[in-house]
Amino acid sequence: MLPDASHINRYGEAEIIASPADHLFGKVLDLSENGLFLVDSERKIILWNEWMVQASSLKREDVVGSAFVDVFPALKGRRVETVINAALDTRTASLLSRSLNKAIFPLYFSEIGGEQQRIEQSVTVKPIQSEGHDYCLVQITDVTPMVQREDVLRVLAKEAEEALQEAEEASRFKSEFTSTVSHELRTPLTSIRGSLGLIASGVMGTLKPEIGRLIAIACNNTERLLFLINDILDISKIESGKMDFVMGPVDLKVVLLQSIEANQAYGEQYEVKYHLNDVVDGTTVYADTDRLMQVLNNLLSNAAKFSPKGVEVDINVIRKDEMIRIEVRDYGSGIPEQFKSRIFEKFSQADGSDTRQVGGTGLGLNISKAIVEQMSGVIGFNVPEGQGTIFYIDICLFKET
Amino acid sequence: MGMLEITDLQRDYITEVLNISMGSAAAVLSEMVDEEVSLSVPEVDFLQRSVAANKFDQANAARMSGVTQAMTGALTGDALLMFPEEKTLSIVRILLGDTVPVESLTEMEQEAMCEIGNIILNSVVSSVADLLKKEIVSSLPRFIKGTGNELFSVETGDEDDLVMFLKVDFGLESQSINGYVTLMLNVDSLHDFISQLDEQISAA
Ligand SMILES: Nc1ncnc2c1ncn2[C@@H]1O[C@H](COP(=O)(O)OP(=O)(O)OP(=O)(O)O)[C@@H](O)[C@H]1O
Ligand SMILES: [Mg+2]
Repeated sequence: MLPDASHINRYGEAEIIASPADHLFGKVLDLSENGLFLVDSERKIILWNEWMVQASSLKREDVVGSAFVDVFPALKGRRVETVINAALDTRTASLLSRSLNKAIFPLYFSEIGGEQQRIEQSVTVKPIQSEGHDYCLVQITDVTPMVQREDVLRVLAKEAEEALQEAEEASRFKSEFTSTVSHELRTPLTSIRGSLGLIASGVMGTLKPEIGRLIAIACNNTERLLFLINDILDISKIESGKMDFVMGPVDLKVVLLQSIEANQAYGEQYEVKYHLNDVVDGTTVYADTDRLMQVLNNLLSNAAKFSPKGVEVDINVIRKDEMIRIEVRDYGSGIPEQFKSRIFEKFSQADGSDTRQVGGTGLGLNISKAIVEQMSGVIGFNVPEGQGTIFYIDICLFKET
Repeated sequence: MGMLEITDLQRDYITEVLNISMGSAAAVLSEMVDEEVSLSVPEVDFLQRSVAANKFDQANAARMSGVTQAMTGALTGDALLMFPEEKTLSIVRILLGDTVPVESLTEMEQEAMCEIGNIILNSVVSSVADLLKKEIVSSLPRFIKGTGNELFSVETGDEDDLVMFLKVDFGLESQSINGYVTLMLNVDSLHDFISQLDEQISAA
């Protein structure tokens, strides 16, 4: 039986318990890890467990029998009072979360050393009926450890977010820096190349042979530097996602013939001729013309510079369902086994030595791969029967929609 | 029978009653978070359990999360408040302000959502109890997530049960977040409900 409040007041704490079973239940409640108190229909507190005694520093005999609002005058008219009333009047159960109700009851830990710390609380309010009477059970859970855990989590998550932002910033700065520097280098270099070109052509007066030779070397190297800078600019555009593609229908045969023509002179340096096998007239692929040419130029120039003198480079076009494969086949020395996995990386060259016979910086295939993939294609290479290498790209056929 | 036909008059009356109680729930929430919160019920339907579950899965391919309370007394069953999962996240984070930037709700954020759901569901349940002039006791709220079908536990429920299906607009910081409240009604209590409704309409 639940004790009658006036009864308790008169006889004090020890008398709350009426029977041996109640005595046992009272002990159980006192051992609870939660704060428990019971309010009757007159809004009086009729049960106050040991946890509440400790946390509130209010003795049981001072609380039991008193009205809820007299024990907690600051809570008059607050949500806790409203939900206690609702539990008693309409038998509604309520939850008061710690996040939406900061420190509901004035409850404290007493730390060793005297400092008091407010207990973070989560509160439930439940209606109970017994022998025709309505009561309201208020339970308080100490969620301080959970609050502390989430505070740590919050700090960590914020730090992680900041670190990510910093990293993104740094990488943006890096690519902006690269692209600005490259632009700044290109302008003076272009004018150096122009001037050297004029001198080399002899319009400024005939050059002594030794001077002519030196000027030619300067011209070559300026040219190389310009190519390198353009490649670096491309890479920084690719990495920052700023390389623009104008996709559309492209007549494959026209583009192949143009690329071959553009590389003819280069091929002649290595005594290599390009040979284009039959392409069905009107074969149209879906691509960006300039970017596709850039890829083809690299494959054609690679094929020439890694071919022995006097042999051909074959260009084949094969249709595979909705895709078109363009193959560039050379009869050179092939790609060393241990180099195959690195060939598309930046600055990677099979012969990385300074005494290399052929020019280039090892950026061509890296850029080509990025371009082809941007156009939803694939780039790769095969080792054919006999000598050499086949580099191929697969790109989409243009479909009328 | 997929849907219970009620008259426009009945529907208007329920909608009005629910909107009044939602208004007071919104006022409680506004005061708690010191921010303008609005709640309204634009639509009320009575559907068969399985029909309601399907309606859910079709309208929301994404996963839902929300709060449930068990009801006993004049109605036996579950009351549910549900939002698409990412909406639940934004509701809690807007209301709490200071948040942990992780992908799902933390324990304490779930507890806060339970309280929000508790306030809303209690107001719906109490206005239904008022209409029935009977007592409905509801349990404490519990946080749940899953698809519409899972949340409805169609397999375990009684096929004949009807679901009172409310659309809820949760207005927060000039956003309007759409969610649902559902109450399971057994057929008897529904008939009760309708006749009480008619009585009150004619009294009004
Ligand atoms: N057809 C080929 N046969 C043999 N090796 C090749 C062939 N194509 C490329 N390689 C190897 O792959 C490396 C990388 O090629 P890539 O086109 O990326 O750079 P590069 O031609 O050296 O310089 P860049 O193209 O930047 O001027 C080459 O240096 C070479 O070692
Ligand atoms: Mg190259």
